[in-house]
Amino acid sequence: MEETEQRMESTEQRALATPRIKGRLRPRPIGPILRARAILNGVIAVVLLVAGLLFFASLVFHSAAAGFGDLAKNPGLLVRIWPAYVVAIAARVATLGFRNRRVWALGLASLVGVMLVAGAVGLYFIGRQPSTAKPLDAANATFAIDALAVFLLVFGVPLLWSLLRGLSWFTDRGSMHQIKTAAEIKAESAAFTRVGTGGLAAPAPAASSSDEPLVSVRGLKKHFPILGGVLRHRVGTIYAVDGVDFDVQRGEVFSVVGESGCGKTTLGRTLLQLTPPTAGHVVFDGYELADVDPEDMRPLRRRMQIIFQDPFGSLNPRMPISDIIGEGLLAQGISSRTERDQRVGDALELVGLRRAYTRRYPHEFSGGQRQRIGVARALALSPDFVVCDEPVSALDVSIQSQVLNLLLDLKRDLNLTYLFISHNLSVVEYFSDRIAVMYLGKIVELGTVMEMYRNPRHPYTVALLSAIPVADPRRRSRRLVLKGDVPSPAAPPSGCRFHTRCWLRERLGNPEQCVTSEPTLRVLDTTNHSAACHFSEEINEAAVENTVATQSVVETAAAG
Amino acid sequence: MTEVIDAGSMRGVPPPSDVLLDVRNMRTTFKVMDGVVPAVDGISFSLKRGKTIGIVGESGSGKSVTALTIMRLLDIPPAQIDAASEVWFDGREILGLPIDQMRRIRGNDMAMIFQEPLTSLNPVFTVGDQIAEQVRTHKKVSKKAAWDRAIESLGLVGIPSPERRVTAYPHEMSGGMRQRVMIAMALSCEPKLLIADEPTTALDVTIQAQILELLKSIQQRTGSALMLITHDLGVVAEMVDDVVVMYAGEVVEHGSVEEVLVEPRDPYTMGLLESIPSVEKRGGRLSAIKGVVPSPFNLPPACRFEPRCPYAWELCRRVAPALNQVGTGGRHARCHLHTPDGATRLRPALDTHRVALSAGRLMSTDQG
Repeated sequence: MEETEQRMESTEQRALATPRIKGRLRPRPIGPILRARAILNGVIAVVLLVAGLLFFASLVFHSAAAGFGDLAKNPGLLVRIWPAYVVAIAARVATLGFRNRRVWALGLASLVGVMLVAGAVGLYFIGRQPSTAKPLDAANATFAIDALAVFLLVFGVPLLWSLLRGLSWFTDRGSMHQIKTAAEIKAESAAFTRVGTGGLAAPAPAASSSDEPLVSVRGLKKHFPILGGVLRHRVGTIYAVDGVDFDVQRGEVFSVVGESGCGKTTLGRTLLQLTPPTAGHVVFDGYELADVDPEDMRPLRRRMQIIFQDPFGSLNPRMPISDIIGEGLLAQGISSRTERDQRVGDALELVGLRRAYTRRYPHEFSGGQRQRIGVARALALSPDFVVCDEPVSALDVSIQSQVLNLLLDLKRDLNLTYLFISHNLSVVEYFSDRIAVMYLGKIVELGTVMEMYRNPRHPYTVALLSAIPVADPRRRSRRLVLKGDVPSPAAPPSGCRFHTRCWLRERLGNPEQCVTSEPTLRVLDTTNHSAACHFSEEINEAAVENTVATQSVVETAAAG
Repeated sequence: MTEVIDAGSMRGVPPPSDVLLDVRNMRTTFKVMDGVVPAVDGISFSLKRGKTIGIVGESGSGKSVTALTIMRLLDIPPAQIDAASEVWFDGREILGLPIDQMRRIRGNDMAMIFQEPLTSLNPVFTVGDQIAEQVRTHKKVSKKAAWDRAIESLGLVGIPSPERRVTAYPHEMSGGMRQRVMIAMALSCEPKLLIADEPTTALDVTIQAQILELLKSIQQRTGSALMLITHDLGVVAEMVDDVVVMYAGEVVEHGSVEEVLVEPRDPYTMGLLESIPSVEKRGGRLSAIKGVVPSPFNLPPACRFEPRCPYAWELCRRVAPALNQVGTGGRHARCHLHTPDGATRLRPALDTHRVALSAGRLMSTDQG
């Protein structure tokens, strides 16, 4: 046992064996059960196997003892193998608790063990005295058959299914769509936790796969149910993200722009698996995130971080900065307080704050400084990929540029890749390499910044760009003003989702195609530019100017 | 723009009749637990009939308090308006008016559009009720006439089928629609002055474009003056005739929009313009104004912008700059660069600004 304990102490195990963090952090010993999680896995695996085997064995044993003929005549006998059912049900509960309720599962497993023994003993005695089993009368037999049927229906089917799943889960682990094995992820994580690995130095970019996109999103969907009625049943669906595809290349800034309600924030959160996607795939550096087990997700989480919009709401007012930033480090297995404080200090210096600030609380900082703390929290874990969700929109102009500069410096110094979510088109134009414009859960246009701003190919992008107020009175010009509001994402328009507000459609005499068929994102003249519009080729400066000249300024509110 | 430096010597003298609003030496302080905060510290500006003025500044610069002081919507105490302050509106000094007379002006001759339409509208009354109530408060009209007026003003701001929408509640409308209702309400009594406090900040960019175009066209039709409070220099460039730039409760620069945004002469305005991201600055760093807005409890002793100013020198730490005249027109900037002492430094400062504006300044000036 002592030997086991020592093995548990190794860094690699510590990286995996992490307690769930609750409230304030303090350097506390990690409980023995939690630390021994690796052992626990084995225990549960064995218990499951034994339970499954016993279930079938007892069936066979009993059938053999009673004789198949007897069993057919008198199915009531089957009821007597109740211990096997109990075992199987317990095993089902154990599988449920398997992924995230391991301690629970351990308790159940021991209960199951006791029952197993009791059941086995009981069966043994029944087997020894078959003659004592009096034939049941007809009424009893009917009742027994009914009871058996209910039993089998209610427990049997899901039970067998879950047992099979539980077993296949063990055998399937090797066949995830991964380039690297789970062991390799763990090794990387161990390297991160090793004391003195040069703090926040960037990990060397994986040279082997550097030409592959860091993040690939395919057909990603996130639908939220609208619950209503007394029973809180589903009365509708909000199509927040409704099938988007894009790649984020290593080292680039990929921006997602759109108005509120277009699904850009949901996209960022779903991509990071902070909320489970409804459908679709996200491949991060070769890992299919939907398939990565929660167990192996933790080391990957370290590599994907997020900076939130609201610097006031995203920092816990009751935690000092050292804990706010250190929380992620602790979750990644850095349990030594001094080591954590060292890294927190490094992260603070990295974002231009003083090391001495670690013991202060969020309210002692200004908005810009808080946003720096948010950046430090994300970067303390040496991520490769950072989702920046409107990181500067809550800040004043002069502070905004400080934070943008900081983000760009850090990207260069730490080899970061950003997914930058924003509604501010001037910031995006300055900041990003490629842009995706979203409207009602779909990408309507995707391309490089230069292509997109000089030569927009979707009527919505044209209107967005036209609406940017420029701080130069010499460039004052009339805008292309869109009519109405963004339709509800619970009931997106048919065909092209933009057709209800589209100026181009109106200009072309309202073609039916826009209402009946949904345009797909198609590659235009250049390979770096695609748009989802049936009539992209009709967009030119003359058309825009003509529309601007004839539009009514007042009647722009939504009709109806 | 009238002369503002000698506001003190104009005391008690009404402005010329073409000036609708004349704010002179206005100072509003707040008494809080830790002391007295000067939110607005002696500002002066004027607005002619039918014109638009933009009040620009970051959060905490005192721009909203300016509007609330003019509307006399502040609770006194904790707020306190300095006795020397004067606000002349339509030929009358309004800070000294009895409150019942002020009520007659407010909502009638001057109306305000707030930033967040959802919190400014009453959720338990229909929008028609709320507009009609305001009309009946100020005009001697029948209920029916007030209701018709509500429908009419909803139509004026481009709300489709206003006779149906007039019975809607605020929550039944989108953000852009609510802001239209706010504008309709403000317009219902045909005010001479419309004060818009960040009217589009809470809105999406396409809706912002709708509202700005609407405000412009309404102003053309009704001939009312507009005081636009915003932090967005883009909106300012689009909308206004004159600009007042505020920093830490003071006016730091003012002039026509072409002058201030194209050729800024105060280091703060220069810094603001330099820090706007644009495509020309791609690849370079944005030039950021270093540091943060000073706490109102702990203002720098002389020039309030000095700790963040890239051009500051010894004089700036010793003597508070006055609002100095720039050039020959009615332009002013609160900076020693425009005094004989700073004459030699002015040219290099403007050159630095020009470079920073086009390419971003490659300087490490962004320590929080």
